[in-house]
Amino acid sequence: MIEVLKPGLETSVQDFPGRIGYWNQGFPPSGPMDSWSFRLANILVGNAPGAAGLEAQYIGPTLRFQRDTVIALTGADMGAKLDHAPVPLWRSVAVRAGQVLTMGAAKIGTRGYLAVAGGIATEPWLGSRSTFHQAGVGGMDGSALKIGHVIPVAAGAGIAGREVKHSARPPIRTDRRWDVEVCAGPNDDWIDAAGQARFLSADWKLSAKSNRTGFRLDGPEWTFAEKATNKPPEHGSLPSNIIDHGYPLGAINLAGQTPIILVNDGPSMGGFINPYTVPSAVFWKLGQSKPGEIYNFRQISVEDAQTMVRQRKAVCSEASIL
Amino acid sequence: MTYDEPRYMPGGDRYMLIEFGNEMNLELNFLAQGLAGAIAAQRVTGVVETAPCFASLLVHYEPEDISFADLKAELARLIASLGPSDDIELPSRLFYFPTVYCDPWTRAAIEDYTAKINPEKEYDPAFVARLNGLSGPEQLVRVHSGTEYWVAALGFWPGLPFMMALDPRCVITAPKYNPPRTWTPQGTVGMGGASTAIYPVATPGGYQIFARIPVPIWDPKQRFREFKDSICLFRPGDRVKFVPVSVAEFEDVERQVADGSYEYNVVGYQKFSVAHYKSWVASLDRNKRF
Repeated sequence: MIEVLKPGLETSVQDFPGRIGYWNQGFPPSGPMDSWSFRLANILVGNAPGAAGLEAQYIGPTLRFQRDTVIALTGADMGAKLDHAPVPLWRSVAVRAGQVLTMGAAKIGTRGYLAVAGGIATEPWLGSRSTFHQAGVGGMDGSALKIGHVIPVAAGAGIAGREVKHSARPPIRTDRRWDVEVCAGPNDDWIDAAGQARFLSADWKLSAKSNRTGFRLDGPEWTFAEKATNKPPEHGSLPSNIIDHGYPLGAINLAGQTPIILVNDGPSMGGFINPYTVPSAVFWKLGQSKPGEIYNFRQISVEDAQTMVRQRKAVCSEASIL
Repeated sequence: MTYDEPRYMPGGDRYMLIEFGNEMNLELNFLAQGLAGAIAAQRVTGVVETAPCFASLLVHYEPEDISFADLKAELARLIASLGPSDDIELPSRLFYFPTVYCDPWTRAAIEDYTAKINPEKEYDPAFVARLNGLSGPEQLVRVHSGTEYWVAALGFWPGLPFMMALDPRCVITAPKYNPPRTWTPQGTVGMGGASTAIYPVATPGGYQIFARIPVPIWDPKQRFREFKDSICLFRPGDRVKFVPVSVAEFEDVERQVADGSYEYNVVGYQKFSVAHYKSWVASLDRNKRF
């Protein structure tokens, strides 16, 4: 059991790949935004890669452990301390009953992950422990952590001192600039050639109005192909309006002139076009970037995006432990 | 129009969007739901889940099990084997909801919007009636409650149904709010385009609103047995009938919901036959109103 002394900014229980199979009722999968770091944290403590752990955003929590266990921290560097001693990232660490883990503001990256041997054992809902706090389901009573929560943990025997190889860690950028791979489609043909070229060459700044449902981007105006303006009225009045359709997770959704990347807690459908989609293996970059940082998009093929997923899965394994 | 061949579009590494046409009509939704049903029945390799919408179907697949090209070929074969939409038969529950039209709660939300955001906004029931050539809110109630609604898709918010009128004599349309409302009461019934929706919880919204139901369509505590498998009441292909009632009756049902004694009025034995539906529609004078 883990006691929440301070919840951090918005710390939640997540598992991977989350709540799959309910998109046609409007339920997003949720789950960790940087599933690369998340899975490695679990592997360090001997859990299945997808076992439930904590995702801390911007400012991490303060937690008291009620029994001896083994934990691992990955992802953003939140200057974690166990009692008063610094805790290394990417390494499994023994914790004694009564010790307090303090996580602060993210110094490098944005989202920090905590795995604990055995995994968090909150009640699963629709097959997943992931929190979707907007709808009040999953995780700890459907919400982010609160003071006084006691997080249940399953029994597990972790080994301290295991470390992730440097080459297997996600290269979190420190220069505030990210190359983000995208696939064209489903609605790239609604954007004219100039608009497509502009999208792929411009600097896109991540807006502060971003959260786990959507990442808003500031950048240049979009221009459209003829089909965006010459269409039946039920599509809607804006060039980026289309008859409501299903949204892929990762879709770059064009709401009027504002692109919004639909991420883990995003909507399942709506009436705007999605000219590009950020593939799943690239989500970790979104998860580790901060508002004000710059994205440069680079187009890759669907096949390349699928190869990246396979490579990532291979990295998120025991082979990456020293 | 309905495309001669569906369009298959990629969405990143694990989604395919299949578009059947570029307009909003029931026929296209029948195709989308028919394909979703066939994919589930045939257990197509690599398909994780599907989500039908008005004129399209989103398919979530596992690329380790099937490539985009193979999935496209597989689904094209399946669509060809389905034949015309007339052959589609879908299990379809029918829900009856006590409904207060032109109710005090949505009126308060509209008045709040008029006071704070747009003083020009006409009262929604009067506005929708006028745009559709109806004599006023009373006829809007008659027309809107005169048909069964088809749950074409769920989304925007978990469990929110996008519905279309099945009786062509009751088809009406409405533009969306601009800018949107900041709040809408839970259980509000509203319209945007040709779609009717019920708001599962109090949320912002853009539909014209003119009615409210006391029955939850979303139940996080799963208190009622209709929510045994999910906290959302509806599935695509369900039908809904709004039954006009008084505020006193609404409040009576609201009490039953609060104490857990409410019994959902739902018919569960029917299948929806597209062929039967079409032959019925063909027998109607589509220009008539109730």
